[in-house]
Amino acid sequence: MASAQPAIRVNGVSHQFGEPGEARHVQALLDTSLDVARGELLCLIGPSGCGKSTLLGIMGGLFAPTTGTVAIAGTPVRGPMPRDLAFVFQESALFPWNTVLENVVLGMTFQGVAKAERGPRARRALEAVGLLDFAEHYPAQLSGGMRQRAALARALSLETDILLMDEPFGALDEQTRMVLGEDLSVLLSRSNKTIVFVTHSLGEAVFLADRVAVFSARPGTIKQIIPVDEPHPRKPSFMTAPKFHALRDQLYGLLHDEIRKAISESAQPRRRYGQAGAAETDGGHA
Amino acid sequence: MNGDWRKNASHRLSSRLVQAAFLAIVLLVWFLATTKWGVSRILLPNPVNVWHQLVDIVASGAFIPDLRVTLGELAVAFAISMSLGVTIGHLISRSRYWIRVFEPLFAAIYAIPIILFLPLYVLLLGLGPASKIALGATISFFPIVLSTIVGFGHVDRRLLTAARSMGANNIQMFWYVLLPAALPVILAGLRLGFTVALLSVIASETIASFAGLGHHIVDLAENMDTARMFAYIVVVIAIVAFLNAVVSKIEGRARWR
Amino acid sequence: MAMTGAQTARPAAGSATIFGRWFMRHPGAARAGVVIVLVVVWEIAARFFLDRDFISPPSTVAASLGELFRTPGVPSALWLTLYEIAIGFILSAIIGAAIGLAVGLSRFAHQSFMPIILLLYGLPQITILPIFILVFGIGAPSKIAFGVTHGMFPIMIAVAAGVQKIEPVYFNSARSMGASRWHLLRYVIFPHMIPSFFTGLRLGMSGVLLGVLLAELYVSTAGIGYFTSIFTQNFDATKLIGLVSVLAAIAIALNEAVRRIELHYARWRD
Repeated sequence: MASAQPAIRVNGVSHQFGEPGEARHVQALLDTSLDVARGELLCLIGPSGCGKSTLLGIMGGLFAPTTGTVAIAGTPVRGPMPRDLAFVFQESALFPWNTVLENVVLGMTFQGVAKAERGPRARRALEAVGLLDFAEHYPAQLSGGMRQRAALARALSLETDILLMDEPFGALDEQTRMVLGEDLSVLLSRSNKTIVFVTHSLGEAVFLADRVAVFSARPGTIKQIIPVDEPHPRKPSFMTAPKFHALRDQLYGLLHDEIRKAISESAQPRRRYGQAGAAETDGGHA
Repeated sequence: MNGDWRKNASHRLSSRLVQAAFLAIVLLVWFLATTKWGVSRILLPNPVNVWHQLVDIVASGAFIPDLRVTLGELAVAFAISMSLGVTIGHLISRSRYWIRVFEPLFAAIYAIPIILFLPLYVLLLGLGPASKIALGATISFFPIVLSTIVGFGHVDRRLLTAARSMGANNIQMFWYVLLPAALPVILAGLRLGFTVALLSVIASETIASFAGLGHHIVDLAENMDTARMFAYIVVVIAIVAFLNAVVSKIEGRARWR
Repeated sequence: MAMTGAQTARPAAGSATIFGRWFMRHPGAARAGVVIVLVVVWEIAARFFLDRDFISPPSTVAASLGELFRTPGVPSALWLTLYEIAIGFILSAIIGAAIGLAVGLSRFAHQSFMPIILLLYGLPQITILPIFILVFGIGAPSKIAFGVTHGMFPIMIAVAAGVQKIEPVYFNSARSMGASRWHLLRYVIFPHMIPSFFTGLRLGMSGVLLGVLLAELYVSTAGIGYFTSIFTQNFDATKLIGLVSVLAAIAIALNEAVRRIELHYARWRD
């Protein structure tokens, strides 16, 4: 039975980059609250710049929100929590100078896993994503889809309860995305991980998620949360079911206006980020 | 475009022939100049004599004591510039602000012919190895510090984010992420620094010294022993080429990109 | 969503004052500040702590510049050096451009001769400096010659590369309109070559400066080298630092001038 306490609790989080009045000021998130239940896959979807990636970063303790709090299993988040959550980023953040296996092992080194444990765990994780044969390859020698699998393996090897995935399949072609999405669904059914998944793709959101949180355009806030009532692992046939289409249409309806709003806003010239000095995050690109 | 391939191959062959012919003509003119055309032996020695001297220098190892001096100066100079350059470069690279302050400053100084500082170093440290080391270290410091700043400053931020999210502490960040990521650029800078240090050391030996490879050439010139001087110059050029090739090889091995 | 990793706290922590904030916005001013601090340190160290025979405070150096210029032979040595740089630069430009053009225009010539040029460029020329002095003597000609051998190669290589890079479409369209070889040279090749030529000039100036100064320092019986030698032997730190500073200033000025010219003429190219 899932415990009553949510895996992640986001409470009244707002976040801005820069000070009001500065050219680079951007209100990324506005008063966002959210509970993520244990063992569920929650998708965050919304137009560009709505703050979903920012929220993910705040959840993961990469930076502190301007206001509001986040708690992981009841513990307030004050910084990265490598034992509780693992990230998978869009552009695989694998280290190009290490082999796939070394990359996975390194993640555990950072986390603090005992040395003897690292090798076996790494191999298990690689096997789970089907990359064991490529353990000695370098990331540059792999296709985009394989690199993201390796990044997923690295996250899995950390054996955290929570996975935070920021458009992990965003840079891949449609077919690879579908396959990886199916694999992820299988994985989910086997483990009890809590996953927060940021995506642009409506179909991906409906296929993968237990619930979909729809964001408004910037400043981002949660417009509505839509449940998807379908057990994991989800078969490819789900994608042709009427339920799927209905949900997808519902999402599109919610998003349509927000997307228009976001496009008209991005037509305004924005000062290039990164020029103002050190310690800059790129303003709200989500 | 298959015809091009044939054309290219024949072009390559004929250009090689031209180069060989060029070399042959130079040698021929040289030979004639000193034998038939009566150019003074002091200005231009007979190539045959130069060859004999060359064989003698190499066989007898007469260049080795000078080589030891030069290499010693080079080693110390490079050690200094490498440690200072990488350390200072890393410290500066940690803040975008300091990068913007110091990088143009270093680039501007590097643009001056720093050989001008040699008389100052000779005044301070005398004609011995110390002034050569000081000059070599000064000149080679700049390409090293600049490439270190660029190397560390341009590390892909996503890699740093990923490492932090996995719980890497600062030491792990440096060893496992920053250093490997910055290494190719830094190594290129080190190679350039090495070459520059070697040339500076030889240059300062030529101008103001009493020992070393550069000085020996000057010595032979002053004694009008031009045949041996030419031979010695060939030896020194060969040594420089060899050292540069070795360093290039090392750089190539150590790079992952 | 990027993080900064090694860059943790903002420098703002230590510069809460308005003064500190201003420096944050103007790194150029901070740069000037660094230089000023170094000069001040030099001044204090030289005045109170270090041996006057070996190092002189900047104030003394500045004050004795007049005396330096009144030293018999120094102004003429400086002028002579400038003259050598000028002639060397002009000769490098002419020779470099001529050979660069010749090599660049013909693919065959490029394949044959460019490796030779690159080889010669890569030689440690300092080793043959004594030969130049032997052949050309201790006067201006040897310095000019040594400057030319340093300066002409970058110009040659840049011009050849610039000519090689001209897109065939320009040649084809000009020829289709009936251009003669002279027309091609004047209206297609020349304008395309200009930006590369000026880039080469910038590198060439550095080369000429290096060559001339190396030769001047080497010859200790005349020219600048005579005075650096004398000042060193007499432990006249003040005059030595003064002379070196003047030469450095000349080098900076010349480099900057050529750099500005390059920026101006290379504008139409990326």
